[in-house]
Amino acid sequence: MKTFRAYLSALLIAALVFTSLPVAAAPTAPQEMDVASTGQASTERAPVELVSTQSVLAGDRASADRERINDILARADVQDQLLKQGVNPDDVEARVAALSDAEAKQMAEQLEQLPAGAGVIGALFAVFIILLITDILGLTDVYPFTR
Amino acid sequence: MSIRSLADLSVMIKDLLNARFAGVLLLVILSALLLGGCARSPVLLESTKTDVTPQIELTQVPFFAQTDYQCGPATLAMVLNHQGVDTSLEQLIPQVFLPGRDGSVQPEMLATVRRYGQLAIPIRGTMDALLRHLEADDPVVVMQNLALPAFPMWHYAVAIGFDLPNETLILRSGEIERHTMSFSRFDATWARTQRWGFVVSEPGTLPEGVSAHNALQAINAYEELHGPIAALSSWLAFTDRFPTNPFGQFALGNALYADEQPKAAQDAFESATQLDPTMGAAWLNLAILQLHSGSTEEARHALNQAAEREGESQSRAQQLLDKL
Repeated sequence: MKTFRAYLSALLIAALVFTSLPVAAAPTAPQEMDVASTGQASTERAPVELVSTQSVLAGDRASADRERINDILARADVQDQLLKQGVNPDDVEARVAALSDAEAKQMAEQLEQLPAGAGVIGALFAVFIILLITDILGLTDVYPFTR
Repeated sequence: MSIRSLADLSVMIKDLLNARFAGVLLLVILSALLLGGCARSPVLLESTKTDVTPQIELTQVPFFAQTDYQCGPATLAMVLNHQGVDTSLEQLIPQVFLPGRDGSVQPEMLATVRRYGQLAIPIRGTMDALLRHLEADDPVVVMQNLALPAFPMWHYAVAIGFDLPNETLILRSGEIERHTMSFSRFDATWARTQRWGFVVSEPGTLPEGVSAHNALQAINAYEELHGPIAALSSWLAFTDRFPTNPFGQFALGNALYADEQPKAAQDAFESATQLDPTMGAAWLNLAILQLHSGSTEEARHALNQAAEREGESQSRAQQLLDKL
């Protein structure tokens, strides 16, 4: 798994670097021409990409590319974890896609620790007694018959 | 449900006869004493006590009973159907339930609401805020720990009303359509999740009383999934509610630009720079749109501003300046 991940990240880094090269290079040429020659540019052919809302909200990041790689890895990680937790493979992709970057990161880093709302508790006797008393004291709400 | 089988019962009886029972009892008394300090009634602001309608109950919120561990899907079914979204438990379970955890986690609760094209906005974690949302006709999904931190029993429910004189909260919870609970008991269980809860709203509207920060995060997450054009109406609602929030103007600018309204977008970026002159990204976006429209001199000024601010925009602004 670890080696697989190492390969995957190397591959992702390479892919992102290569795919971003032409994207980064392409808009600069028409930009120079537009501004220098006419000083006007049609909005359809946006010469420079605007800074996105998401990138600003995510705070100051050292490198947008590194952040993208982290995000992709986090999502791959969440996908693995959801499958391990018994989510149907057909549903996993859409569930991961619905998460925001921040949520995906949170899920990837601490899914095990996140509380999972279920509304049921396993019964141990000592726990039963303690909860019975805390219920009566009005601190918990496990046994509706206490009221 | 606490005792689920005969086996559990026999374990109970065995434990009862166990010599350690005395120890357990001692522990119980100790923990009760220790926790007794928290049993106080939650403090409501005086203004809440006097301003809020004494009795509220959103009876129109539909009820979906939870089956097994599925309080997450059940609460979502209630609030989504209340919003007019047609969905069922069967549809929601594979979208939000985690079989391996026998439950549903918070990020996926919010994400699932977004999948149905609605905004999920966390509320401020106070009883005052909760009551205010109910008064404004918004049911609130709350997460509770019904048991104790050491043996958690995480649970989602929908708060639908309250009775202020009697200090009771009304919830659709688990298998109970109308579960009433004292403010103090509820707050004790709610505090164990850092008072986590959220409201749901139609894009283009914002529930009363949400904080700018929470609304911003929610619309931003919605935009990540559905794109800036779908988020435009919500950014308009946001800037309407929080007109002096510079980030709101910035986000509105981006959504307007995506919607091919460059003139309005430029105005929004300009507002952002006026509200927060240190926002490099707003200066940069403003400059780019000024370049598009041929206002080179204004663009130069904006680029100079952007180039002065630390951050990602700085180098890009410098590059553009060099080309001018």
